[in-house]
Amino acid sequence: MRRRASLVLLALAVFCAALAPLLRWYAYPRLAKIPPNQYQEMVLEAKDATLLDYTGGMQPKKVDKVTIVQTLKGNVEASKEIEASAGKDVVVWDTLSYIIGPDGKMVSQIPERYIFDAHTQDPVHATGEMVDGDAVKREGIEFKWPFFTEPRDYLYFDAQTRTSSPIHYVGPRRFKGMDVYYFEQTVPWTKVSMPKKMPIEGIDPATIEAATGTTLWYTAKVRFWVDPVTGAPVNAEQDIQQEMRGGIASGGPDGKLTAFAGHVTMREDYSDYTVDLVRANRTKVLALHTYAPAGLATGGLVLLGLALWLEARGRRVRHEQLPQDEVSA
Amino acid sequence: MRAFVAAVIGLAAALALVFAITAFGVPEGETSPKPLLTTAPPAPGK
Repeated sequence: MRRRASLVLLALAVFCAALAPLLRWYAYPRLAKIPPNQYQEMVLEAKDATLLDYTGGMQPKKVDKVTIVQTLKGNVEASKEIEASAGKDVVVWDTLSYIIGPDGKMVSQIPERYIFDAHTQDPVHATGEMVDGDAVKREGIEFKWPFFTEPRDYLYFDAQTRTSSPIHYVGPRRFKGMDVYYFEQTVPWTKVSMPKKMPIEGIDPATIEAATGTTLWYTAKVRFWVDPVTGAPVNAEQDIQQEMRGGIASGGPDGKLTAFAGHVTMREDYSDYTVDLVRANRTKVLALHTYAPAGLATGGLVLLGLALWLEARGRRVRHEQLPQDEVSA
Repeated sequence: MRAFVAAVIGLAAALALVFAITAFGVPEGETSPKPLLTTAPPAPGK
């Protein structure tokens, strides 16, 4: 009986000991990925911002609040199509940044299609990759860092300028009880494309530059607090300034008008929601990457020890019984 | 010999389990029917 139990324990020990590295180095790289059907919304706000009054004399004015509603929707059909030619797991995110003024009306909106490797978050270039209808070829990351983010600079894509530049790792921080990495990026004043949809009466934003000589300029300081396990930002803040220069802005000081200036932050309820979501996903990733392999390895050792102990005990008992049997015979 | 067989059974079970899990993979699901938002929701997910 003891011998059978020690054999069962040995089989379990080998099962656990083998499963630990298999989970960590075989299953984890294949299973840890961004699901292609993700749907996520985010509300950001810029309080006491400056906004160009497009319908009331084209002058900048202070407003209580500008709201940015950002939706991110995984397009499963498009990802399957691209996967067939790319030969790897691909995620296609259709996103919309919808900017709402204090009166509840649209200020501008920027749709994007972001295509990336589901495991590494490296960009994948395919037809349909765009920002506001303009074809782009992203370099680096956008929206999310890779799993197990490293404390180093990354190349980060800026949708306004349609270019990538380094986002610098500044150091570790603590945010709402989570240990995170803090990153900063400064985008210098850059001439950017006019959003295709803007509430300028009588002027088509698509032709405003050619028709009036007006150009749009943008600068930003972007800050992200990133959970290093999932690579998901748990907080984001941006100091954004946009100016119209020349053309219809010629009447402004130095021939420019502030289109938008404000400090953009996550709305508090969305910040809490994001932290909870990231914390839950962090546990899932760590379970597969660390907790389960470590637990199985420990369990395997304990079971092996038990199996050996049972076997040794069984042999000792058999050994002790042997002379008595011989005596009685 | 029995110990060897027990070890092989344990190893085979671990390999079978991991290959099955990874072959099955994570379900892809379907594209969400929810729209890209043009108004600020009152609360997350509402």
